[in-house]
Amino acid sequence: MIREKITILNENGLHALPASRFVRLAEKFKSDVTIAKDDVEVSGKSIMGILTLACEKGSKVVLTTSGDDEEKAMNALRKILEGQD
Amino acid sequence: MAKERILKGIAVSKGISQGTVFVYETKEIKVVQTPVPSMYLKGEIERFLDALEKTKQELTNIKERINKEIGADFAQFLDAQILMLRDREIIETVKKRIKSEEMNAEYVYHRVLDEYARKLGASKDQYLRERVADIWDVGTRVLRNLLDMTHASVIDVPKGSVLVAHDISPSVAALINPDNVLGIAIEVGGRTSHTAITARALEIPAVVGVEGLLARIENGERVILDGNRGILIKNPTPGRNQFYKGEIRKEVEYQKMLSPFCELPAKTRDGRQLDISANIEFFVEYTHAKKYGAMGIGLFRTEFLYLTRRGNPSEEEQFRVYNELAKKMEPDPVIIRTYDLGGDKIFSDYHEANPFLGWRAMRVSLDDLDFFKIQLRAILRASVNRNIRIMYPMISTFEEIKKAKIIFNEVKKELKKEKVDFDDHIQVGIMVETPSAALMSSHFAAHVDFFSIGSNDLTQYVLAVDRGNERVSHLFDHFHPAVLRLIKQVIDAGHKAHIWVGLCGELAADPLAIPLLIGFGIDELSMSPVAIPKAKMVLRALTVQECEEIAAKALKFRGAVEVKKFLRRAIRKKFPGIEGIK
Repeated sequence: MIREKITILNENGLHALPASRFVRLAEKFKSDVTIAKDDVEVSGKSIMGILTLACEKGSKVVLTTSGDDEEKAMNALRKILEGQD
Repeated sequence: MAKERILKGIAVSKGISQGTVFVYETKEIKVVQTPVPSMYLKGEIERFLDALEKTKQELTNIKERINKEIGADFAQFLDAQILMLRDREIIETVKKRIKSEEMNAEYVYHRVLDEYARKLGASKDQYLRERVADIWDVGTRVLRNLLDMTHASVIDVPKGSVLVAHDISPSVAALINPDNVLGIAIEVGGRTSHTAITARALEIPAVVGVEGLLARIENGERVILDGNRGILIKNPTPGRNQFYKGEIRKEVEYQKMLSPFCELPAKTRDGRQLDISANIEFFVEYTHAKKYGAMGIGLFRTEFLYLTRRGNPSEEEQFRVYNELAKKMEPDPVIIRTYDLGGDKIFSDYHEANPFLGWRAMRVSLDDLDFFKIQLRAILRASVNRNIRIMYPMISTFEEIKKAKIIFNEVKKELKKEKVDFDDHIQVGIMVETPSAALMSSHFAAHVDFFSIGSNDLTQYVLAVDRGNERVSHLFDHFHPAVLRLIKQVIDAGHKAHIWVGLCGELAADPLAIPLLIGFGIDELSMSPVAIPKAKMVLRALTVQECEEIAAKALKFRGAVEVKKFLRRAIRKKFPGIEGIK
């Protein structure tokens, strides 16, 4: 299991388009993916969950990946949160 | 007889229609709570999954239709909706609760969605609050499928209808059949709403933002919808009916007369070829550009990218739009104008007293280089198609051209380093729309690949008139000799430096101005697509020599009134009764 603190740098926060991209990418990995913000944790493969977190640009989240491809998943998904994809 | 009433809204799609009101209502779905015996729970879950599958099929069909008819960029909201539909967390929660609560699928699903909708609805963020509509757009589909309700489908709207609704969800708007729907009126929305964009794409007259619409209009009523003036007329008086019948007839005859010109080349009688291009605002309008016979896109306004979404569009989003447009227009050129809005559009806390003379367009881009570079990168990447050109708006100093060039070269270098392919010989031009750029055009010409004269802004700046101000708007006149002299000066300066010069304001489509501009030697005229056939008709009847004579004379007058009087007489000789010449 990998756990990383990440600041959302994506210009528009984690809203519909980046959130959709995040979920579609997360689904490609076997690992479990979760995002937590202010003690609320949701599945990174659930768009509804992510939207309810209401992540603005600048908000801090904890991204967790766990499974066979956890490292790959972490590297790829972090980029979306940091707005570098 | 009932009294005539005129309902006012915002005109978002041009044209006039007379038709029968079809009120599109999303019928309230009644979800009842029914206990399910434990032996049937498995079946209940399967019923739920079947409804999801059926809904997924519906959304996929709509998406394909939008992709095909409007463009992939507009189908993006459906991707989010499809993800919401197959959201695992929701599906698992619903399955679990059907089992634990022993209740029917509709009830459980509705409650689960409601919980999410409430959370989003309570958000401080307006964008997230608006997503509640997406949740219910999807949720309603699923519930209807669970309840075996037929969808109140806009596909079934009878022929000759004016579609009236409180709002039309994007997935529903995509299904509007332009053969049956003559007009659209909705209570909410603005110029950049999905309904407005769809209506323009389908060329259906539309009025949005009509307050109290549903309370005042009934199903089956005959109404007139005027998409030019932004009004819906209920119980029109006989006189009004007569007037609009005349307007519609004129429009039809006029289109019929002009339609052959779409296909004909834009050549003067003595064989000078002009480049007639289209000004477009939305990607989908490329279809109109082609239909009306444009030879390219002379002005692609990129503003909608910044106005229709929250925050700024990413490089990727911009690239997709530019790239797709370039591909659709190939091999004809596409001129992309960089950001041309005020600073207030991207920095919400920024306000200024005099926005037209303020921090806007290129001035914003050159102050926020990261922002500018994102757009340049997107445009350059799309230039692999080899038909893209870049245009900078509101240039007023030489230093701006120099600075833009430095940034542009930096971006090129970055792309080369990243081994990204682009058109190294891409043409870079400027809009000439400030008096200083026009006066200095002979110097600027050596540093750019083309000029495009923005006659609307140029007129406003030269005459110091805000055309939006009713008290002074009568002073706004393109035919003011000061404006005409500057235009001539810019064209001459461009030609002396061997670059081409175009014009992309309202003047380009004005039949009175066309002989004048040809006489000045203009190379390109860019206008709204629907104006193209008329422009071709006018210029095909002229010879360069007579245009030159007209132009030389026109420059000798003292004021716009004299100029126009002269031009009207000259062109009436050729086209007695041509519409638009008053």
